[in-house]
Amino acid sequence: MYTEVRGQKTYAATGGKAFDGSLPTVMFVHGSGLDHRSWALQTRWFAYNGYSVLAPDLPGHSLSAGEALTSIEDMGAWLAEFIRANGVSKVHAIGHSQGFLDVLELARQAPELLKSITGIGTAGAIPVNPALIEAAKNSAADAADMLLMWGFGPDAQYGISAVPGMQPIAIGRQIMASNPLHADLVACGEYLNGSEVAKTIDVPAQLILARKDRLTPVKAGMAFARELNASTTIIERYGHMLPIEAPRQTLQKLRELIGSLENTA
Amino acid sequence: MSRSSYLKPDTVALHAGYVPESDHGSRAVPIYQTTSYVFESVSEGSSLFNVEQGGHIYSRITNPTVAVLEQRIAALEGGSGAICTASGMSALFTIFITLCSAGDHIISATQIYGSTATLLKHTIKRLGIECSFVSVNDEQALRDAIQPNTKMVFCESIGNPGLEISDIPGISTIAHEAGIPVVVDATFATPCLCRPFEHGADIVVHSVTKWMGGHGVAIGGVIVDGGQFDWEQSGRFPELTEPYAPFHGIRFWEEFGPSALAMKMRAESMRDVGAAMSPHNAFLILQGIETLNLRMKQHVANARALLEWLQQQEAVTWTNYPDMESNPSHALAATLFPDGAGSMLCFGVTGGRAGGAAFIDSLQLASNLANVGDARTLVLHPASTTHSRLTGEDMKAAGISEDMIRVSVGIEDISDIKADFGRGFKAAERVAGAA
Repeated sequence: MYTEVRGQKTYAATGGKAFDGSLPTVMFVHGSGLDHRSWALQTRWFAYNGYSVLAPDLPGHSLSAGEALTSIEDMGAWLAEFIRANGVSKVHAIGHSQGFLDVLELARQAPELLKSITGIGTAGAIPVNPALIEAAKNSAADAADMLLMWGFGPDAQYGISAVPGMQPIAIGRQIMASNPLHADLVACGEYLNGSEVAKTIDVPAQLILARKDRLTPVKAGMAFARELNASTTIIERYGHMLPIEAPRQTLQKLRELIGSLENTA
Repeated sequence: MSRSSYLKPDTVALHAGYVPESDHGSRAVPIYQTTSYVFESVSEGSSLFNVEQGGHIYSRITNPTVAVLEQRIAALEGGSGAICTASGMSALFTIFITLCSAGDHIISATQIYGSTATLLKHTIKRLGIECSFVSVNDEQALRDAIQPNTKMVFCESIGNPGLEISDIPGISTIAHEAGIPVVVDATFATPCLCRPFEHGADIVVHSVTKWMGGHGVAIGGVIVDGGQFDWEQSGRFPELTEPYAPFHGIRFWEEFGPSALAMKMRAESMRDVGAAMSPHNAFLILQGIETLNLRMKQHVANARALLEWLQQQEAVTWTNYPDMESNPSHALAATLFPDGAGSMLCFGVTGGRAGGAAFIDSLQLASNLANVGDARTLVLHPASTTHSRLTGEDMKAAGISEDMIRVSVGIEDISDIKADFGRGFKAAERVAGAA
């Protein structure tokens, strides 16, 4: 569905059902260069099992209009405006990779909007290699290749897909190459508020990490989980792109936390 | 490297889509010879039916062995996803009815496989889908053929049997300006020799019965979604951008983006039409693909050597191979097929139709049959077999003559192929001399 945020047409996937703000709302925030399709195998379950779903494309990404935002701080502020624009008072916020940094900033700027936070394949800070940023400046497709080569775990590199017949690398490449990857990576690399924000979080938090993650290694995620006092799950065998590579395991952990808080587990 | 994998093509051909399974560690891809799959719970079954999670329900729609083949071919072509079908013809029918409804229009190259021409000209016409046949390399003719209801431009990367090379970049530029996708039947080239997505095509179709399998023991087809076409921006495809009633109003483009077409074919055509590939055939095709690159190198080497030899034979009246220097397609072939334009060649034999028949009937090594892409050398007289349903005018437009011999050059030792053909030429010369 489309709503207007900051005067721009903004797309959000709703999991295949009309958005109903009276239901508990789960918000999914995508990572650098990606879009709502990262969450195709989580959003539909929530939408068809008693929740309302919002999985926005950040400004300038895929189906959302506008210019890309240039700082994580602004992305956090934008998320707060997006939630309010949809008439929602509180959400369970889930972020993948850079999307979780956006969620942290949302927590810092508008904690009243949150019921819980979940980070997937992430950490409190995500340094970005200058060579990757330079590549993204010249060609989003080249940078996408670098990210996907590192981002997907071994099985996906061998063409394994959770959806029969599909090739996640090609799908990710097509999305990333068309989106403002450079702006995202710059913002991601510059964000340093994570540890400070962690001290202020007072809603349930969990991190879902991947053993084979080469972009945000488990060690960094675990260190931040301690700062955040978050429950932690490490999913074996898979890489950074957990929502796509290990959709069932990811969904299961989301259901457990959010279900326990909404008494629907 | 393709757009789907960072492994090299030879490695993709052996490994993509499968890692040894956890239960038994089978190194080879297992044949999942089953119709259906047990749901862990009612809830899981519901999730699978509602596309809340990936997985298998019924082998008409997906099957684990077939999925390995689909993912392997998608990776070889650089596509976002693939759907395997019972045959190459069912792959074509699937893509035609996925993108077209009654009242829609297709533009097709004139030089295409005879059964495809029949499908486009007669069968889908009964469903209300019209087709215009044009020389797709003629830019103006292609532009003139585009209508408001045109849903695709269809061509073969190497035309069958005329061996005309389709100018995929040029065709794609014109089609995309009008918001129309380009569908390429790339059977004659395989992804070893040409990956049409890298030249602008949007959808690739193969008869995997041919070079992909190579052994001539299994029939199958595949449609590969390139994932690059913007269905929303085109404005011509409400089937992909508007709510789809049978799936709770799902909008395939919004939901799946680069894999929207593949997901639509899976959800609609495989469910409703059910032209599914059998898991056993998928396994057989996988065995062939493992050696595809090695075989294609030998196919091309033999085709080039045979062509050179044919051009020196007195009984040969003309020859045609896409990247021979005298062919108008030579420059295009060098660009699109840098490692060789396949292993199909055609020639005319002395003695006309009777000489051609005598040539074919006297061969011992090469087989006279209606197939191409076998590891063995195959020959055929198109005018009396595959294209016999065409009118004389249509046959000419398709690049076929009465004296044409079509050869699918195999990977036997080239000296044995030459010796066999030499025997055939003596028979043809006897017929020509008697006349």
